[in-house]
Amino acid sequence: MILPVNSSNNYINFSADKKEPKVLEYSHDTLLKNNFANRAKINVDNLINAFTVYPAKGMTGSKNANFYEFLTMGAVPYLVGSGMLMAIFNGASKHYSPFQRVMARSTGNKLALGVLFYGIMKNISKSFISKPVKMLTGVDIEQPYAKVIYELPDDINDTDITSIEHHKVFESVEFPRWDLLYGDESKGEKRNGYYDKIAKKLGMGDNLKDSDQEVKPRIKEIVVKSTLAKNISSYLWAATGVALAAQEPWDNFFNVMTFKFWKGREFSKSIQSFGKNLVKASKALWEGQGNGIKKQSGKILIGLAAASTILGIINSVYSSKNPSNTKASDVIDKNKNYIKN
Amino acid sequence: MGTNLIQNYINKPIQQKPVQQQTSTKPMPDFDIQRELDNRTFIKPLAGKGRLLTGNILASPKYTFDNFVYSMKALKHAAKGDANDHELGKINDLGLMGGGLAIASYLTTKRYTPMTKGMEFVGLGAFLASMALWPKIAIQLPAYLIHGVNVQKEYQDSFGRKKPFYQDPQFIPWDLYSDKQIDKIGDRLGVPKDIPNRRDFIQEKMRKLAVQNNTLWMLTAGIATPVMTALICNATEPYLINHMNNVRNQKADKILTNVNKYSERYQTKHIEKKLEAVYKQFQNKPVDANIYDALVDAFTDDLDAVTMESFKKDLKSIIYNGEYNISETTAKNISKNIKQQFEKQGYSQEFINTVIPNEEGMVNLFKDNQFIKGTKADSFNKIVKAITLNISQKAVEYNKLHPEDTEDLKHIRSIITSQATEKHPIFKELYAVKSKIFDADLFKTLQKAALAFDGFRARQLALDEYALLKAGSAPETVIANYWNNVSKDLIKIFGITDKELEKTRFDKNLMGNLLREKIENIVSDRASYEKVMNTLVEKIASLNSQIKPSDMTSHMLKGDDPKKDKTVYEEAVNSVFKEWSQKINDSGFTRTARAIAGTGEDEFGSAKAIQKAFVEERLLGVKSSFYRLINTLDFYRRVATDPNAMKPYNNAVPREVREELIELCKIITLEGHSSDNAIKFYMLRNPNPATDYSPLEVENGKIKNAYLGKAPKGTTDIPNDKYFFQNAMKFMFGDEIHPETKSILEKNNITNEVTNYRRLVMEKIGGEKYFWKPRHIVSNVGDTSSDIKFLLTGIAPNELIYKTGQQVFNSKKWLKIFGGIGAGLLGVTVLAQFFLGRLKAPQGGNK
Repeated sequence: MILPVNSSNNYINFSADKKEPKVLEYSHDTLLKNNFANRAKINVDNLINAFTVYPAKGMTGSKNANFYEFLTMGAVPYLVGSGMLMAIFNGASKHYSPFQRVMARSTGNKLALGVLFYGIMKNISKSFISKPVKMLTGVDIEQPYAKVIYELPDDINDTDITSIEHHKVFESVEFPRWDLLYGDESKGEKRNGYYDKIAKKLGMGDNLKDSDQEVKPRIKEIVVKSTLAKNISSYLWAATGVALAAQEPWDNFFNVMTFKFWKGREFSKSIQSFGKNLVKASKALWEGQGNGIKKQSGKILIGLAAASTILGIINSVYSSKNPSNTKASDVIDKNKNYIKN
Repeated sequence: MGTNLIQNYINKPIQQKPVQQQTSTKPMPDFDIQRELDNRTFIKPLAGKGRLLTGNILASPKYTFDNFVYSMKALKHAAKGDANDHELGKINDLGLMGGGLAIASYLTTKRYTPMTKGMEFVGLGAFLASMALWPKIAIQLPAYLIHGVNVQKEYQDSFGRKKPFYQDPQFIPWDLYSDKQIDKIGDRLGVPKDIPNRRDFIQEKMRKLAVQNNTLWMLTAGIATPVMTALICNATEPYLINHMNNVRNQKADKILTNVNKYSERYQTKHIEKKLEAVYKQFQNKPVDANIYDALVDAFTDDLDAVTMESFKKDLKSIIYNGEYNISETTAKNISKNIKQQFEKQGYSQEFINTVIPNEEGMVNLFKDNQFIKGTKADSFNKIVKAITLNISQKAVEYNKLHPEDTEDLKHIRSIITSQATEKHPIFKELYAVKSKIFDADLFKTLQKAALAFDGFRARQLALDEYALLKAGSAPETVIANYWNNVSKDLIKIFGITDKELEKTRFDKNLMGNLLREKIENIVSDRASYEKVMNTLVEKIASLNSQIKPSDMTSHMLKGDDPKKDKTVYEEAVNSVFKEWSQKINDSGFTRTARAIAGTGEDEFGSAKAIQKAFVEERLLGVKSSFYRLINTLDFYRRVATDPNAMKPYNNAVPREVREELIELCKIITLEGHSSDNAIKFYMLRNPNPATDYSPLEVENGKIKNAYLGKAPKGTTDIPNDKYFFQNAMKFMFGDEIHPETKSILEKNNITNEVTNYRRLVMEKIGGEKYFWKPRHIVSNVGDTSSDIKFLLTGIAPNELIYKTGQQVFNSKKWLKIFGGIGAGLLGVTVLAQFFLGRLKAPQGGNK
């Protein structure tokens, strides 16, 4: 990695102005524990940045704007779009006649709830893949790390040239951050500790000479396969969320729904009703109405989502590759040109 | 960390001695890399195969197809664990689409009409299209037009992967643009030509534009995509409705051309299969209540209640046809009963065992005489005789063997036969199983009926489908689409503005007043009247092209003889019902046959009549509502052109009465509701009208009332003035229609139906004994059923506009809000372009 002029002292001031040095949480790329606190912190951090710093940088065309920021800003259309969808379903109904308003709101509320459930299920369901895969293989495809970024100063007074980005070790299958997974021998950690663990878990044996080299291709395979499973199944779970929101029992909830949390009794009734009707709606989704495909549609949808998850996990856990017998001489095709003389 | 040169420079800028410029001496001063390369003394990598992609702003089908193929390959690679980042990204898009399809498919099962089902997929398509189109229309195109830079340029890398050129602003493969291309873009961007490092400057400007536009995209997409989706759906809906309507209408026409062939899809042999199952279960068992219930269940699935009752009666008479089942059990029981009788009379066991046939003996006796079968009651005496004869003979033999202890034969016979039937040792048993066996013969009879039932059900379902598609009381039928189509245009036809709609939409009376104003204004002028009437009649008459009167009609409105002038639909119904009723009549189901098709010419109340009446009534109701509107406009026009032409009042009654009459008529034509006839229109009139016989005057379509509402001593209802009400009726529905209206109706071929409609109202509603006030009848037809009155009254024009007005208002309001948001956002997004890509050029250059 090409380091900037100084990675330990960020107080680089090209002007005469004196400013307080900025203290960063991390001085170098750091592996983070994948626990609730960290995930929440990362999400909040990303969300705030997505709505504040990154749009500001993007709209001014900052030379430091990058792909990560663009991707993180994807949360903006996702959230704004969800709100807008809800508004489209319900926004005009207040101008309708009372009867039509009631009819419009029943549908509109269900659609709005569908938008909400889509988002919730889409996010929760990612762990339907990642957790079992981690349990079975030891590979955590969601493993986060903090990346320290050195930016170009915007102008001569700009001393704030570092920032933190939250990435995932395996976000790129072509360039996973293997380096972060090695142990620090100066701290008494085993250099290949992580890879030894995975090798053992995957049944590749103990005390491998170069466990990292042995395990890396397998990890890559697991990451690719579980990403596939995640990408397919999470959308199907999201669809299940929408279907759940489309069930009739929710009408009962909408009748008593209130967001006025300061009105204790009404609010708690509203919450209770939500719980009760969630159960009823789930039953209604599973049991279905009418006959034929209409009756089975709920089961089919849930079945599809569950099947994609289970198949995805199975496919991720079992290697479809036989132990490599290829020699280096087989990899390079001697009849092909790789360079130009 | 070692000493850093720059740090030294920063921390001690002043104290430091001036730094001496270091000049490095080249180790090979004459080294020329180009020459070396040309001489091939170096090796170098193969040239990259990356290239910029050129394409239309809208993806070509081939491009889309290629992408799809690529995604499929990516899926295959990923399943094997070999995919790269780019491929995994594509799979995410596939997942999004798959999830969307899953949602649309599921929600389709929750929708009930073809259009709403179709809209689920239109919605998904519109959403995906909006996601793709918004950045192209609102970002890429304006940026290109304003700056000349394609900010969503794509390139293909050496591995054939298509990527956005500006995806990562920290890594832009500038080498794919030639100097010439960059210079051209620079010229378009207005970059001075003579600045140093012009290419770098242009590139920086392009990068800046791209970064800003990508951010703009992210900031606007959240609002734009849902709004655009909704607007696309809104715009698509009428086309989809129209298309679906045509498809379904053609489908219906096809059904009618060949009902038998179409009905094959409904041939489930449902009843036959059920009957077979019942037979399997109860084969050769005596028919009892269980079998009866099972048979009723098998045959009467979705049969109407009247036919079902008839069927039950028929079934009873067929399976319980006066026969009784005589079995071995009957014989055994008879033996037991007789023995008991003799025991009671104190006969010795020896006598009983010798004379009375034991169970086995009795069975043999029955078998020898062929009694074991289903048989009618009139043959029971034969059985009794046979048994008594047998016992008598044995008793004679017994007496011969026991001369010391002879038994009286007469007494013996009387013990057996003198009992009442319910206590009779033989009859009791013979009558016990009052049915016949569910045998192959009975099964065959029922099977024949089942075949007829199945065939009929299939064809009836085909007829039902036809009737439903055309005239069903459901959304999206041909007639419902026609209704919506005509009524939604009424707001425009009558020139009701959005503002007026907003003010009046919640109140039927306010809407009525508004409509009256509008109509009076329209009828005040010939040109405007003809224009409105033409548009209206053209729309209303269009139903006859969608539902051809020769296929399906209301005979009442058409004014023909339903017994002679049969429509294609009626012919089909007749043939299907007739054939069925004949078949089941032959199988013994005579009552059912009558319930289905009536007897002879009289089909009143039969299933066949109901099947025909349904469509006729639907057509009558819908057409009446619109013909009433035509009549209302015509009436207002007649008043506007010559208010004194009303017969027979003319100028024979005081002007005040005529003013009252016209006011009443105007209210009735516009607001008369089917229930208003029940509250009898209490018209408040002046009991002492002024004795002015001058003619009425009109101004702007309105009567210039000289007296109405100005009665000095107040007004009251005058119930005994039957001529007033009769004349009102004649004036509205009896007098000739206006010549202008007539020519328009003739042009659209509905003169006959409208004339008949007016006549029917006169006769049926005006002929009711309790019309308005007791015995104020206009005609002597009388005895009109309430449903005909209801259908003829139709919907009142003010109510029709009130209901339609709300729908039109709601759609417009929604469109105004979200169309406004969409348009505003598009404007802001495009305008923003003018503030993007600003970069100060290095000094010293000229444009």
